[in-house]
This record gives sequence, C-alpha cells and structure tokens, in this order.
Amino acid sequence: MDLNFLLLVIVFLPVFAGLVALFTGHIPRLCRWVSLILSIIELSLIILLFFLDLKPVAGPTGTWLMAVDYPWLTGLGARFSLGLDGLSLMLIWLTAFVNIICILISWRTITMKVGSFYFFLLFLEGCLMGLFLATDLLVFYLIWEIQLIPMFFLVGIWGHHNRIYASIKFMLFSFGGSLFMLIALVALYTLHGQQTGEYTFALYQLTQTHLSPVVEGFLYAAFLLAFAIKTPLVPVHTWLPDVHTEAPTAGSVDLAGILLKTGFYALFRFAFPLFPGAAEASMPLLVALGLVGMFYAGWIALAQTDIKRLVAYSSIGHMGLMIIALGVWNVMAMSGSFLQLINHGISTSALFVMVGMLDERLDSRQFSDMGGLWKKMPVFGGFFLFFALSALGLPGLNNFVGEILILIGTFQVQPVVGILAFVGVLLTVIYILTMVQKCLFGEALEERRVWDVDLHEILILVVLAVPVVLIGLHPGPILRLFESSLQHVMFHAPLLAQGLGG
Amino acid sequence: VEIILLLMLLFPLTGGLINMVSAGRLPRRLSGAVACLAIFGALVMAVIGFVRLGEGSFVVPIVDWVSVGHFSTSFAFLYNPLAGIMALMVTFVSFIIHLYSASFMREDTDYCRYFSYLNLFVFSMLMITLSENLLFFYLGWEGVGFCSYALVGFWYEDPEKAAAGRKAFVVTRIGDVALGIAIALTYFLFGSLSLTHIYGHLGVLTPIMTMALGLLLLGGAMGKSAQLPLTVWLPDAMAGPTPVSALIHAATMVTAGAYLLMRMFPVIKLSPFALATIAGVGAFTTMYGALGALGQRDIKRVLAYSTISQVGYMVLAVGAGDIIGSMFHLLSHAFFKSLLFMCSGYVIQAVFEEHDIFKMGNLRRLLPHIYYPFLIGALSLSAFPMIGGFFSKDRILLATFIGPGFIYKVFWLVALLAAFLTPLYTFRMFFTVFQDRPDGRTAEQIKPVPNFMAYILWPLALLALGDGLLNLPFGPGKDWLAHYLSVVKGSVVHLPAPPGYELYMTVGSGAVIVAVLIFTYIFYRPPGPSFSAPRLQAFLFEGLYLDKLYYHVFVVPYERLASILWEYVDEGGIDEGLDGAAESVEMLSRGLGFWATGRLSTYVKMLFVGLTVFFSALALQWFLW
Repeated sequence: MDLNFLLLVIVFLPVFAGLVALFTGHIPRLCRWVSLILSIIELSLIILLFFLDLKPVAGPTGTWLMAVDYPWLTGLGARFSLGLDGLSLMLIWLTAFVNIICILISWRTITMKVGSFYFFLLFLEGCLMGLFLATDLLVFYLIWEIQLIPMFFLVGIWGHHNRIYASIKFMLFSFGGSLFMLIALVALYTLHGQQTGEYTFALYQLTQTHLSPVVEGFLYAAFLLAFAIKTPLVPVHTWLPDVHTEAPTAGSVDLAGILLKTGFYALFRFAFPLFPGAAEASMPLLVALGLVGMFYAGWIALAQTDIKRLVAYSSIGHMGLMIIALGVWNVMAMSGSFLQLINHGISTSALFVMVGMLDERLDSRQFSDMGGLWKKMPVFGGFFLFFALSALGLPGLNNFVGEILILIGTFQVQPVVGILAFVGVLLTVIYILTMVQKCLFGEALEERRVWDVDLHEILILVVLAVPVVLIGLHPGPILRLFESSLQHVMFHAPLLAQGLGG
Repeated sequence: VEIILLLMLLFPLTGGLINMVSAGRLPRRLSGAVACLAIFGALVMAVIGFVRLGEGSFVVPIVDWVSVGHFSTSFAFLYNPLAGIMALMVTFVSFIIHLYSASFMREDTDYCRYFSYLNLFVFSMLMITLSENLLFFYLGWEGVGFCSYALVGFWYEDPEKAAAGRKAFVVTRIGDVALGIAIALTYFLFGSLSLTHIYGHLGVLTPIMTMALGLLLLGGAMGKSAQLPLTVWLPDAMAGPTPVSALIHAATMVTAGAYLLMRMFPVIKLSPFALATIAGVGAFTTMYGALGALGQRDIKRVLAYSTISQVGYMVLAVGAGDIIGSMFHLLSHAFFKSLLFMCSGYVIQAVFEEHDIFKMGNLRRLLPHIYYPFLIGALSLSAFPMIGGFFSKDRILLATFIGPGFIYKVFWLVALLAAFLTPLYTFRMFFTVFQDRPDGRTAEQIKPVPNFMAYILWPLALLALGDGLLNLPFGPGKDWLAHYLSVVKGSVVHLPAPPGYELYMTVGSGAVIVAVLIFTYIFYRPPGPSFSAPRLQAFLFEGLYLDKLYYHVFVVPYERLASILWEYVDEGGIDEGLDGAAESVEMLSRGLGFWATGRLSTYVKMLFVGLTVFFSALALQWFLW
C-alpha cells in the first residue's frame, strides 16, 4: 500500500488541529483536550513511521524513505514536494513530542485567549513539519518565513513584560537573514533556468546547477547568514537570550527544542548539497564559529543572574558543538550531532519546562530569589538535577552519547579542535553545576511559600525523562536511522561525500 | 559468568533505584536494609566470582551501546584476577560502610537519598572495576564523579558543603578532560576502545603516541586520585558525612585513578617517560600529602591529606612498574583508611560534631570501644613493622629504588621521607585525641554513640592488622597475591632486587618508623610541644597554599571574565551594535512614512507586503521569459 500520503497528513493535521482549537477557543477545556488529542494522534502517526520498516526509494525528487510530489505553481515550476529520511523522521518526531509537552505545560498557565494560543502553537507545529520535510526550495522558503508569525505572536501576546521588544527583535533578526537567502534563492533559480531551460525549485535539480566559485560563494554566504542567525551562531546570537527570557514557557520550549534546530538542519539539507564547493571551503569557518560559540556562550552563562537566560546561553554553547561537527565533516561526528539535535531538544526543553515551573512558584527567575529549594520541593529538585546532569553530558544519559561521538569523531580528523572541544565541555559542567547550586542548594528562604510538583507536572517530567534515559543507554536504533541521511548527502553531493569517508 | 557479573552490578543498582524512586517515603529501617542487602548481594557475587572463576580472564559482552560505522562500544565485562580482587575489596568494604551508615545516619531525615546515592556509588565503582572498554569505564568513572558530588554536598543547606561537592566534581572533571582525550586518542590509534583489543595490538603504538597516551591517562588519574596538581578537592570533600569519606577515600573514588593506570598498564609501560612522570607525580604527592597532614587540626582533614599521600604511593608503584605492589597497597589502604574514617566518625559523633583534634583528648578512657580499632588503623597507616601497610609500602619503596636511572632514586628518597613523616602525623593525631590531657574532655562532654558502630569495624581492623599475610615476603604463603595476580598483563611477581636489599630496607625502614613513633609520643606528650612556628603551621594548614593559589589564579579571573564578557562584549558590544543598526533603520523608516508605528500589526503587514513583492517579482520574471 502506498503510504506516502501520510506525509501530507503529518503536515496538515496540526494546521487543521490549530483551526479546530481556534474555533473551540471559547470553551478552554474542550480546546485543550482537542489540541492534546490531535497532537497525540499526530505523534502516533509519526511513531507509526518508525515501525513501517521504510526503505530508501529513488524518485523524481531524490532518494527518500517516503516522498510526495505534486505540481503546485506550475507557471513558476514550483512543486509541492516532501521527502522523508532518517534525520527528518527524528526531527518531526521531536517536533510532535515537544509540541505535546508544550500543550501540557500551558494547560493551566495560559488562561487568556486560549483558542488563539493553541492555534499558534499547532500552526507552528505544522510549519515545522513542513520545514523538516520540504524538498522544494520555494516551499521551504515560504514555510521558513511563515513559521515566524506564530512564534512572533506567541512571544508578543503571552510573553513577559518586555515582550514586544523581544518579539520585534526576533522578527527583525530572522527577517534580516532570510531576505538575503531569498535573493540567493531567486538567483539560483534563474541561473538554473538559464542553464537548462527548466525553471524549478526542486532541491534535487538545483543541486546540479553549475556555478562559478565566486557566485557559489556569494549564494552560499546568503544561505549561511540566514541559518546562522537561526542556529544561532556567535556573533548573531543576541536575539536568543532576549526572546527566551520574554517568551512564555511553551514558546521557549518550542524555540529551544525545535526552532534552533531548523538552522542546522537547513544548513545540512539545503546549503551543503546546493553549494558543496563553498560549503567545503566554509568548514574551517564553521569550526571556528562553533568553537567560539561554545566557549563564549559557556563562559557568559556562568555570569547570568536569570536562570532562563542561563539556559538560553547554554543552548548557544550546545549548538556550537553541533556546528563544529558539521565543520569537521566526519561520519562519527555527524551522527553525533544529529543525535545531539534530538538530545538538546529534549533536555533543554525539559530545563525550560522546569524553569517555567519555578517561575510559576516564585514569580521570579532571579537566582537571588532561589536557594535551598530542594528542602521544600525534593521531587522537583530530583528532576531538575537529573535534567541538569543530562545537559552537562553525564554518561548514561542522552547528551553524553551525542557529545562523545562528536568529540571522538572530531578528534579523528582534527585533533586540535577535538581537544579544544573537550575543554569546552568542561565549561558546561561549571555553569550547570553553579546553576544547580544557586537554585537547589544553600539556605532555604523561609518566608516563601512554594509547593512541590504535583501529579500533572510529574507526568510531564517523566515523559521527558524517558527518552533521556533510553537514548543514553540504547541509542543504536536512532543512530542507524541517521545512516540513511548521511548516505543521502553522499548521493546528492559526491564532492562532499569524499570528505565524509566511512 | 555473565550471571555472576550482571548480578553483582544489578544488586546495587536496584537498591539505589528503590531508594531513589521511593522519594523518601520508605521507613528508615527498610531503606537501610534494602541498601545493605543490595551490597551484600554484590559481595556474595564477588565472592562466588572469586571462588569459581579463579585466575582466569573472561570477556563477557552483554549488549551493544554506542555504534556508528566502525566505531562500536558495548556494555562488556573483562573479569581477571585484578578486577576480581578489586571487586571483592570494593563490595566488602562498602558493605561494612553501609552497615555502619545505617547506624551513623540514625538521626538524619534524608536517609533514602543517602542510601540511594551510596548504592549508586558502589554500582559505578563496580562498573569501573569490571568494564571491558574505555567508554563503559568512563560511564562508571563519571558515575562515581556524580555520586561523590551528590554525597560530598549531601548536607546541601550549608552552602559551603554544597560548594565542596561542586568543587570535587569540577576538579575531577578537569582530569576527565584528559581522560576523554585519551579515549579519543585510543580510538584513533587502535580503532577500538576494547581493552582486550588494546592489549592485543600494542604493536601499532609509536613511542610518541605511547607517551602522549600515558600522560593523558595520568591526567585522568590525577583528577580522581587527587594527585598533584589536582589535589585540592579532596580535603574539602570532608564536608560529606563521614561514612561517605570512608567510601570515597578507601574503597572507591580515589583508588579509581590508580586502578585505571593498572588496567592500562600494558600501554603505559611501553613509555619510560610516562612511567617516570607517573612515578614523579606519585612521589611528590606522597610528600605533599604528608606535609599537609602535619598541619591540620580537623581530624578528617588529617586523614584526607594522608589519603592523598597514600594514593601517591599507589601511583608511584605504577610508575615504578610494579602494579602488584600498587594493588597490594590499594588493598591495605582500603582496609585501614576506611577503618580510620569510620573510627573518626564515631569519635566526632561522640564529641558533639567537634572536628578539632585539640579539643578532644582523654578519649582513651571515655571511648574505650573505639580505641583499639583506631590504634590498629593508625599503626597500619604508619606502616608499623609487621602490620598491614608495612609490607605493601616496603614493596613499593623497593620497586622504586631499583627503578631505572638516577631519577628513581630521587623519587625513592622523597617517598621514603614521606613514609617517615607518616607515623609522625598519624600519631600526632592519635595521641592528641586519645591520650590523657588536663584540658581534654570529661565524661559529661561525651555523647553516647551506639556501640554497634565500633563493633562493626572489627572485621576491617583484623584485615588491616593482618593483610600483610596476603603477600608476605617470606615464610609460608610467600607472595600469594603476586602469584594470584601474575596472569595480569605487565605484572612482575618478584622484584628483580639484588639479594639482601629487601631485608636491609625492611629492617631499616621498620626501625626508623618505630623511632619516629617513639619520638612522636615524647614530642606530643602533654602539655604538647612547646615550639611554635605560626608561618610554617599556616603553610602546612593551607595545604601549601595550593588551593588559595588556584582560587586566585583560575577561579577569580574566570568568574570576572565571565561578567566582563557578558556585560561589555555581549550586551554592550554585539547587542548594542545590532540594536543601533536597527534603530537607525527605524529612524529612516520614521522619516519615510507611516508604518513604523511599533504596533504588531504593522510588522505583520510588512511581512505580507514583502511576500507580495516577492510573488510579483516572480510572476514578472515568468512573464518576461
């Protein structure tokens, strides 16, 4: 049976669910349940894909595990095409998973404009699904821009007191980057059309465009800028801490859990195959930016007084490590960084969830208002410590597997970078332990009334903790999924494949 | 074989998880019983393993862990006599510590968390002991690191104690960076992390690489085993409950570093330079620890510095190429140091949590139950002739003395002097605490402590007293341990010392040690020594100012730079710059027209305008072509 239509369902079900949520918004209870149930259906659909035993099939849009391809704007040669491979499968799983977490944590905290809130949340999920599956550049670009809208409103309406500044900053940064990408995209489209007479936005066709090194360099730079802002790489990262601090918990979770991954993903999926020569030339730059990001953000994180900002900076540091892997371009490091996308999505989301819970109780995110919380909320403390350990890469938990693969893989190709990266991981340990210390340990502040996590919250945390342990102890199946993605790149870009080896 | 080893690990793991999941709701007795039973189960398995598996080597793969391409690691065990005897020691000492803890923590409300960490600690240590590949080893290694963090900072309400836990974790992590790089380098050189694979392919190593690997492994061991220059965490780690100190110092954590060097010895021994460095680090650490111990007033800190010193001997032994001596000393140390710590825990509880030895005194009369165990431990630590630590320390000194080159003679001399300082600092503490003094404690100033806590120490005391029997240099049962370990790669059963050396050294050092002991007795007779050198005392008390040095050279600049980077570079530099750019654009647009209202809707409008322009451009282009 041809199950490829499932991809369409996966993309449009959340959008549909969002509309339902919008129209049931006047009955908040119903709206929440509808959103939750539809999201669970979405997640089950994706989990179903894991069990289908999919095999890569060569089609008109390339070799994918599953693909759909429909004519869309025929005049432009744009087609609506989606493709699934191991990496995108894991990322859409992550998206659906994180989205359920978002719905659950907003269950009681969001009381204003419930319908619109869930609409934006689900609409964002739909966008991200499309983003991770798109194989046509026009589709990709449109979704890339549209996904800003729900995020913009999530921060701007339900955020904290300085939300307008944050949401506009977010918008301007993202827009600034992607405008250049648009120009490059149109240029590529035109060049390809001139060369072959066939105007198309299909990734597979466009990778075969002949470009002079200079043109390729410029076009690649434009793409890189857009994706670097999203990742974010130092020095275009300053929007992230601001947006995180102002965003509602669900917004932060979505942002850290998934949105940051789109930059890395797009770099790997689009920019690298489209401009292999320039990409290869840029690898030392990527490594350098990654290292700088890792040290710089890790260092700054220590000085933070706002716990949410600290977690935001830790995201930048973690993304830096993944970018290093992209720059050293080695099978082990790449597999590790793919896994790390997922791991970071889970662990950092969990930390943001817990910070949100703290904020609810203390009405503050300043370290000066915390301390000694373990005494009053031991279960919370246990979970917080657990996720903090996951973030600092304790072996046996998820982050370690990704990190050690990146580190060892990096060392095989560029020992010096590998050693620096090993040292960089030490910074993570320092600030994470400091965070735990300032938050949980020390003298308890007596006058404050806090309550430990209740059953509803424990449920969320357990759901988050399960994959942390599972990936930490048995990452095999996921790593095997990524093999197909790496082969895919080899297929698309033989030039890059040589460097990848293995 | 699989079952024995798996169960050995699963018992403590299960015990730890039960206590953890209960979230403090288990009744006190049950919680303690679960924890003790778990360790007892592991102990039984270790004994069965010891009896049934004998001197064989077994590789037992359990399940695949991380595999990508050619890189493959699994949860696999390598059981050999070295691992067997280590597992036996770890489980036995931990079992006693658990029993003792059940009594020691009788008034603490957080006992579930305590026992949970304690079990996990043993579990991690057993992983280190048994693992077959370096990544699995690293799992246990970091597990131990985490558990020590949690246990040292167990009384988290005191910020200083919590900070001590963090310090332990961070400082050992610095060593782990070296170990991590060593792992990466191992994979680079051998294409595998399996110990058996490494043992079998030593031929691929070039001298330079061997040296690098040896030094990196030493770096890892430095962190965990608190060797110079990473010693600073250990004295602070005294912040934890006393049984935890016993566990960290005797049975588990600090010996892990020495054990790593023993496990990787086939690689290390190929590089004379790495060996000499290891020996040097070990030798100077013995001296550092001994000096530091001389200056302390806190009973636990005296023991902590003595641990640094004693572990130095183990590392020195590895550097001298004698892993049997290293293992021998590791065992004796495990017995007498856990004994001493638990004795001091008893004493501390009896004197109302007072740690200062100069505020004790008279305790021989007041705490008769603990007097003899403590005495045995102290004698063993001082290497009193014919008692436990004497034989192991002698073997190490001999191995160092016959080491190649002049430099080993220097190491030998340093370690020998440190050995002579050992009875001085040990009995300085012992006499101050136990001898009759006019300003000592009276019966009213003593809190009753369960005698169980003293009785339970006797098995350890007997072992500390008699563990020289394991490897007597003469008579029946001569060199039993050495023969038992002889199948381990790189071990030397008989030190190739010229005849007579052994005897001379034994007798000589024995005589000096007894002399030092007598001197100590006279010197610290009440009312105590009359000489005073405040500068020197402060110097020793502060651990030769190493901790202060690090604090000012590393910690303070690190923190300051973090704030500077954040405030001036990130917020002030990059962000201001970008904001400034945005503002100028905004001003431009304000000049241009009506749409820079700052309202959300405007920006959405802008988006749609942009998209429209984009589509029109595309459409236009399509028309033109």
